[in-house]
Amino acid sequence: MIELRGVGKRFDGAGKILDSIDLSVPRGQFCVVLGPSGAGKSTLLRLINGLIAPDVGAIRIDGEVLTRANMRRIRRRIGMVHQHFNLTPRLRVADNVLVGALPALPRWRALLGLHARASRERALALAGVVGLDCEQLGRRAETLSGGQQQRVGIARAFMLEPDLVLADEPVASLDPALSIKILGLIRDQASRTGSTVVCSLHQVELARAFADRIVGLNGGRIVLDAAPQSISASDIETLYRGSGVSPVA
Amino acid sequence: MPETRRRDTAIRTGLRRRDWLWIGLIIVLLAWTGKRVEVDRIAAESGQAALALAGLADDSHMLDVADRIGRSMIPIQLSVVTPVDRIQNFDPERLPLFSHLETRETVSERIDPQSLKPVRTAERRVVLVERYGYLRQLLIKALETLEIAVWATLIAAVLSLPMALLAAKPTMDHGAVRWLVRGMLSILRAIPELIGALLMVLVFGFGPAAGVLALALHGTGFLGKFYAEDMENAPSGPQEALRAIGANRLLLFRYAILPQVLPQFVAYTVYLLDRNFRMATMIGLVGAGGIGQELKGRYDMYEYHHVATIILIIVVSVLLLELLSARLRRRLL
Repeated sequence: MIELRGVGKRFDGAGKILDSIDLSVPRGQFCVVLGPSGAGKSTLLRLINGLIAPDVGAIRIDGEVLTRANMRRIRRRIGMVHQHFNLTPRLRVADNVLVGALPALPRWRALLGLHARASRERALALAGVVGLDCEQLGRRAETLSGGQQQRVGIARAFMLEPDLVLADEPVASLDPALSIKILGLIRDQASRTGSTVVCSLHQVELARAFADRIVGLNGGRIVLDAAPQSISASDIETLYRGSGVSPVA
Repeated sequence: MPETRRRDTAIRTGLRRRDWLWIGLIIVLLAWTGKRVEVDRIAAESGQAALALAGLADDSHMLDVADRIGRSMIPIQLSVVTPVDRIQNFDPERLPLFSHLETRETVSERIDPQSLKPVRTAERRVVLVERYGYLRQLLIKALETLEIAVWATLIAAVLSLPMALLAAKPTMDHGAVRWLVRGMLSILRAIPELIGALLMVLVFGFGPAAGVLALALHGTGFLGKFYAEDMENAPSGPQEALRAIGANRLLLFRYAILPQVLPQFVAYTVYLLDRNFRMATMIGLVGAGGIGQELKGRYDMYEYHHVATIILIIVVSVLLLELLSARLRRRLL
C-alpha cells in the first residue's frame, strides 16, 4: 500500500526532521507510528499524502509516486484525522462530515454543496456509527466538545471509504478514556472498509492496545519496527531515550 | 572631571539641550503653518464671539453672520407652489395630499414702450400649494442617494471578492499576482470618492451613474483589502483538512475560509454602505446625483430656506442609517 524509500526531510534551521526512512505498510494494516514529540511523526504522515514534499527519497502509494499531477486523485483515496480536529468551526456538523465527500463531486456541485442522496445517507449512517445524534448534526462544529469534534473528524475521513487513513495524533488532546473510544472507532471503521491505517501516537499503552504493528521513531530515524506483542520494556526505553519524556500511557 | 560628567549624563533626568532645540523647532514650525491656515483669525474671531456672547464686547462678525444665516434659513422650506396653468392635465377635483388651491396676485412693473413710463400690472393666478411638496421631493432625492449607496456597495462587494481571492495568501500561491492585485486595490483606495466622482462626471455626465461608479471603485479598494486580510488571518487548521483530501483553492475558500470570515465580511460591507451613504450626499456637489446635487443648486441660488431643509434631511437620514447599520452589525458579530 505505502512504500517509503530513503525519505529525508529537513526544515530551514531545524536540522534533519526525517533521515533516510524506509517503510512499507501492507494493505489493511493498522500501523502505529510511536515516538516522543519532535520525533518527526507528523512530518512523516504529512509526507505520505503530499502536504509536504520530501527532500530526498521516494514515496509510493499503490506503486504510484506522488506528483503534482496525480496528487489530487491520490488524496481522494486518503482520509485524514487531525490532532486538532481541523473542523470548520462555524459550519454545521453535518456540513463538516460532508466535506469528506467533496472530492468525489463535480466542481460546481461541490462549490454549491449539492451532495448526492447516497452521500447524505452515508454521512447520516457514519454519524450514527461514531455516536453523533441528529440534534448534534445540526449544530455548529464549534459548539461540540473536543471528543465530539474528533468523532466528526473520523466520520469526515471515512466518507469516501478511503483505502488509506492517516491519523495524526488523533487523541493527543483527549483524555485517556475517550482516547480508547476514539481509537476503537478508527480501528473498527477501518476494518469495516478494509482501509490501511497509519496512526501516530505518543502513548505506548494505546499503541500496544490498538496496533497491528508499531514503528518507533526517534530523532528522525526508525529505531523500532515490530508487532506490539514482541516489544520489550528496553525497546521502549531506547525509543524515548534523550527525549526527556517518560513513556507512559 | 570627565568622569563626573559621564556619571551625570548617565543618570540625568528631564529634558536635555537637544530636546529643547526640537521643541523650539516644532513651535516655530507650528507658528508658521498656523499663520498659513489662518489659525490666528480663527482664534481672534471666536474669542470676539465668546466675549460678545458674554456681553463683554459690542459686536462680533462671526455672530452677525451666524445670525443672518440663521434668520435666512428659518422657517425651513416645506411647501411647493406651482401655478395651475403650468400643470398639465390639471384636475381641480383631484388634488394631491396636503394641498389646496390659492389665488395669488403678482404685481409686475415694466416700461411701457409707447409712453416710456413705468406701468404696474397686477396679475391674478391660481396656484397649487402643496404644503409638504418640497419635503416630498427631498425624500425622493434622499431615496435616490440611498439607492446610489446601495448599488455602489453591491458592485464593490462583487468586484472586490475575486480580487481579494487573488490578493490573499491561502488562495493565491504566486506572490507576484498578490502584489499586483494589492497594488491595484491600493490605487483604487487612494482616489478619494469626490475626486473619483469629478472624473466620472466627465465620462458619464451629470447624474447618479457617475456617483455609483465613483463610490463603487473606491469601495472595491477598501473591501478588497479588508476581505484579503481577513482571509489571511482565518485559522489554518480547516484549510489543511481541505488540502489533505485534495480540494482545490476554490473549495478551500468555500468550506474552510468563507464560513469563518463571513461575519466580518458582512460587517465591513455594512460599514461601507453606511459610509457610502454619507459620501453619496457629498458627491452630488460635483453633479454626481443624489441630494447633494439639490443642495448645490439651492446653495448657489442663495435659497437658504431650502438649504436648511436639505441639511436637516441629510442629518436625520445619516443618523437613521447609522443606527440601523450599527444594529445590523451587532447582530452579526
